[in-house]
Amino acid sequence: MQIEASLWNASWATDGGRMQISLSYAPFEARYRGFDVARCSVDKSSDMNQFSSSGSVLKQGGGEEFSEELLLKPFPDRKVLAHFHFQSRAPHSSSHGRHHHLFPKAIAQLVKKFRVKEMELSFTQGRWRYEQWGGFDPLSSNNAKPPGVELWAVFDVPQSLVDVYWRNLTHTLSGLFCASINFLESSTTYSAPELTFKPSFGNLRYGTLPREAVCTENLTPWLKLLPCRDKAGLSALMDRPSIYRGFYHSQRLRLTSSESGSDEVDSGIGLEQTLTVVLQPSSWRTGKTYSVETNIQPSWSISSIFGRNIPGKCVIAKSSNVYLHLDNGLVGELKNLERENAKYVANTFESEGFQSNHAFKISVTPDKVFEEVDYLHGKSTSVIYGFSVEKYSDSQPFDLGLTWKIPVVWSCQQAPLHASRFLMGSGNERGAIAISLESTESSEGLPTSHIIDGRCELRVDIFQVVPWYIKVYFHTLQVFVDKQPRAMADVVDKIRVSPSKDKVSPGVMEMILKLPCGSKSAAFSLEFDKGFLHIDEYPPDANQGFDIPSALISFPSFNARMNFSEDEFLNNSPILSKFQETSPVLSYTEVLLIPLTTPDFSMPYNVITITCTVFALYFGSLLNVLRRRVDEEERILRSRAGRKAGWISQLLSRLSAKLRGRPQEQPTSSLPYSFISFRLVLKILLVASIAVTWQYYFG
Amino acid sequence: MSEISPEVPDNRQDAPSHVDPNSTRITKPGVKRLVLTLSVLFSLVLGFPFLWKSVEIYRSSLPFGEISEMESNPSLSFPCRFQAVFINFNSNPSPNHLQLSILDKITELTSNSSQCGACANDLALSVTVDSISSCTQTHPTDNSNYYRCGAISAVDFDFSNDDDDGVDELLESVLGVKNVYSVVVVNGGGEGIRAVVGKYRHAWIVGSVEEEEEESVLVSRVAEIFVKMFVNGGTENGLIHGEFMPVGADRRIVLSFNLLNAEPNDWVYDWDFQRVDETLLAPIIKVLGPIANISVESQVLYHTPKSSFSYWDEKWKSYIFSTKDLPFFVNSNEWHLDTSIAAGGRSKILQFVVYVPSAKECPLSLLLPTGEISKTNGFISPMWGGVVVWNPPGCLNSETNHPSRHTMSREDLQAVFEVFMGQFRQLFGLKSNNLYIGASGTYHLLPSGKGFTEWELDVLSRQFACFNLHSCATTLGSLSRLVQSLPRMIIMDEIGKLVQFSLEAAKLAQSNASLGDNESSAVSSGQARSLAEDAFFHPSIMSISYYSFEHCFAIYSPFFLPVSMHVLLAALREWKRYKQEKAKYTAWKAKVKVES
Repeated sequence: MQIEASLWNASWATDGGRMQISLSYAPFEARYRGFDVARCSVDKSSDMNQFSSSGSVLKQGGGEEFSEELLLKPFPDRKVLAHFHFQSRAPHSSSHGRHHHLFPKAIAQLVKKFRVKEMELSFTQGRWRYEQWGGFDPLSSNNAKPPGVELWAVFDVPQSLVDVYWRNLTHTLSGLFCASINFLESSTTYSAPELTFKPSFGNLRYGTLPREAVCTENLTPWLKLLPCRDKAGLSALMDRPSIYRGFYHSQRLRLTSSESGSDEVDSGIGLEQTLTVVLQPSSWRTGKTYSVETNIQPSWSISSIFGRNIPGKCVIAKSSNVYLHLDNGLVGELKNLERENAKYVANTFESEGFQSNHAFKISVTPDKVFEEVDYLHGKSTSVIYGFSVEKYSDSQPFDLGLTWKIPVVWSCQQAPLHASRFLMGSGNERGAIAISLESTESSEGLPTSHIIDGRCELRVDIFQVVPWYIKVYFHTLQVFVDKQPRAMADVVDKIRVSPSKDKVSPGVMEMILKLPCGSKSAAFSLEFDKGFLHIDEYPPDANQGFDIPSALISFPSFNARMNFSEDEFLNNSPILSKFQETSPVLSYTEVLLIPLTTPDFSMPYNVITITCTVFALYFGSLLNVLRRRVDEEERILRSRAGRKAGWISQLLSRLSAKLRGRPQEQPTSSLPYSFISFRLVLKILLVASIAVTWQYYFG
Repeated sequence: MSEISPEVPDNRQDAPSHVDPNSTRITKPGVKRLVLTLSVLFSLVLGFPFLWKSVEIYRSSLPFGEISEMESNPSLSFPCRFQAVFINFNSNPSPNHLQLSILDKITELTSNSSQCGACANDLALSVTVDSISSCTQTHPTDNSNYYRCGAISAVDFDFSNDDDDGVDELLESVLGVKNVYSVVVVNGGGEGIRAVVGKYRHAWIVGSVEEEEEESVLVSRVAEIFVKMFVNGGTENGLIHGEFMPVGADRRIVLSFNLLNAEPNDWVYDWDFQRVDETLLAPIIKVLGPIANISVESQVLYHTPKSSFSYWDEKWKSYIFSTKDLPFFVNSNEWHLDTSIAAGGRSKILQFVVYVPSAKECPLSLLLPTGEISKTNGFISPMWGGVVVWNPPGCLNSETNHPSRHTMSREDLQAVFEVFMGQFRQLFGLKSNNLYIGASGTYHLLPSGKGFTEWELDVLSRQFACFNLHSCATTLGSLSRLVQSLPRMIIMDEIGKLVQFSLEAAKLAQSNASLGDNESSAVSSGQARSLAEDAFFHPSIMSISYYSFEHCFAIYSPFFLPVSMHVLLAALREWKRYKQEKAKYTAWKAKVKVES
């Protein structure tokens, strides 16, 4: 029997890096114990689970099910998106609180213990590039996350208890995912949005840690929640070096639990785990061969992106599918190209599914082709190819490849406004935060539903959390629409501000804006003062600056959803049914880095030293004065002078006499003053030149 | 600055002008400056202890003496109340004589094992000799809960037949008194001596006793039942397992059952744990209620290969892993058994694992060092739990490519959980044999349908208290060693209080134990243990403020170094000058005297 344990993030031991660990006390001894203080009560009443000896695992698993899916999507900037989607479900019943067949036990216990109604935790590295990778589709709205850790949770407890449950939840999650989520425990790091984030009744908490580094130690516990982990199925693709080499990496865990009271079919606990990575296919070689056509998209396959193949499905999974998504910009472009080439006219994609057309080639025949149905516009719509991994195995792995034949240029559909946030001002005292919203060209065809009272308006929600040491003056909010200053009341429909309290709570600003439809840009600025932190509150690397979490910009009047024609298959595919759900278009702004005045941490020492020295000097001289006998000293001096002394001592005595302001009684020396000063100046010059050369060559 | 120094007083004018001030002095040297510098020096020296006191690190005083005292002897002494009833003895041995010889035997048996929980100090034995004609009884001083004369004879039961359960129930109805362990010795019946230990707190010995020697055999058997069974719980090593009592300080145990499918691509097995929980586990949990609060959870895991190797053995027609592979069997990298979130901080989690081997290592059997295949095909790891390897039926001939999905049959589950039950008892240090071979013969143990007999529960409850006290003592001991080894560590008052409370609770547990109250002794010993752990893991110890001596020196030296130099030098110089001047003065005085 062995116990393996590791100390991670042991900043408590060094008091945040300020204290050095003294190795003179080694060996260090660590003791472990349980990390929790309470447990759920055992539910004695449990209804009998009917036993059925025949039937699939899914039925025997008490209705617990698991499905895995992977969506691949080429991006216009020669990158490829891989979006893993794992969904586990556990039906709600008192007995299944304790016995699990597929559903991760830890999550079920977490939901039960902390009364979590809904929760989302994301670990992200890199920034989602809304301009190139799109911001309008459900994928980006749901999976583009701010860098670092974002956690929000809705609790099913009375409002007075929400904070306590949140704190316990952060601690448990921190242990579960090997991350510093426990820093979200302090009330300065989380907030309770009410207006803009999600409809809630005071039982929602939201917190972010922008600086949290995401790495494989966070992924491993996340994979542990999957029944097959990364041993089989689609998750076997997660080769750590490949996925962490990507441009964007976001692992997300979303929990929904519904009470048994609701009579919905899918009541219970739903766990949705997604991993979104944006990777660059390594295709510089192909780029060389087509050196004439530099615009051609790189050809890729699953094995070339990940370095691995899919060795069949995870046997426990209900469904295991891979999708290739071509977004509507790409499909529209392809259709245009098709029309230009008259000889391909007959070869329409509707009939053939254009898997082998003039523009690209897919290496595997798709099992299904879904086309988005856009009832409103009838514009070009996106296409999804579905591949089932069921029939593949270790000996015959699944490897999907996409080979481009001609260069295609397209762009992804963007959110109506592109949001960016930046800092203004200079110095260590004050500054301003500005949020600028630029209209993107793609939002021309606004739905008519936005016309309210004859005015066409665009609703934009802004949710911004500012740490307490950034003291924002909310009265300085300035609004510019189309670069013209506007009165706040004209644009801001509703605003909710909870000012920060020092060392207690962060400042929260929620705004609902109504922008006129035709406006090209809008900008907001807020001034702030930088606060002072206590010496204990500085992080170990204070000079790096402080992060302000991303602001969340949402467009509630736009729905990021895809419509597919009714199909039985769609209902069995969690990723596609997720796409069909109505969700608002969301985008996050950049994280801001604010430099604060960082004190010199050795300053107290210096102050102590200089004060002590001054005191010591004062004390010493006072003592000297008290015990000095002037006439006796003079007598001794005289007698010494009477003896033949060296010229240096004579000089010294004369100097001291000069300093005392008394005339030398026996001017024995006959040296002229000018000579002394000349030699002195020469010496000083010599020393100075040595110092300068030393400084020049060695300094 | 005074222009006139005291050493050069006014009478200087009267002095002869030829006096050389460097060699002679005609006035007494003054002491004003000497006193001044010396007073500064002394005030500095005197002030130093105050400064030292003021920069001292706050350390709450811990009762080190008491801690070390407890650590050296963390024992509980429970009172033992025994009674031996001799029935149908024609020779009418004197009960006092029997009592003495049994007590002798008991002390002989307990002398070599003086561990916690044994009743070395407080032992009371009552012997009754109950025959048809007469009934004599030795009464211990304290209470009257002992056997009443004629109670068994009145029932008139035939002990000689083999209906052990019937006898057990009958004796329970007659003797059923808490805290008193009884052995009934019945003369008569068939040949030889048959000893049975019942489900409750009594045992009986049936045999025909005619001779004196046989009486001594009976006496030694009675003593052995008392000591080995009722006190030590039938384990060879007594309560040495007390260090491995798998119960949390809050008296909670979480039993986490795991079904591990080593390779789900070969086959996937599921189980109906809900049913097992209700039919097999619930009664045991209820029985163990007084000892521990047990909760059960289960999960099924996939892709969990073992980390040791096995080899094919033609003789056994199976893959073999031997006992020396056991340390490597549990694959901590792949078996994500997980600590339970539902379990509280001080709960103990016991993992029970059913391992379903993959097709390429099926059937998998455990080879014992004796060269036989283990019947249970499982093993335990103390304080961790148990593992059972369950080979799916017909795994040798299944050559299907497609993974098949099954559910473990009810019979298989039952068999596996019987093994688990034995492992569970073993984790508590109890044996599952129904025969105990002692020094003076064999004893039949009646198994309880609920898994644990009452005398075993008594043993466990004592053991739990002992274990708590022991771990409390070790925790406090290591805390006191830590505190003593770091003299510049801050110790908050809270820690001192926690230690004090912990010691108080431990004392309470000891006094409760000596009063015979197992229940409250277990409770307060648990409190002592958790308080000790609280003290040890107090956050203020965790973030030990490192305020070293170097630190202190660096802060105070810029002031005290120069100041003390000044003061010392001034005092020295003044003293030297005073001595010199005084010498000059005395020389002059002597000269004047001589001259005059």
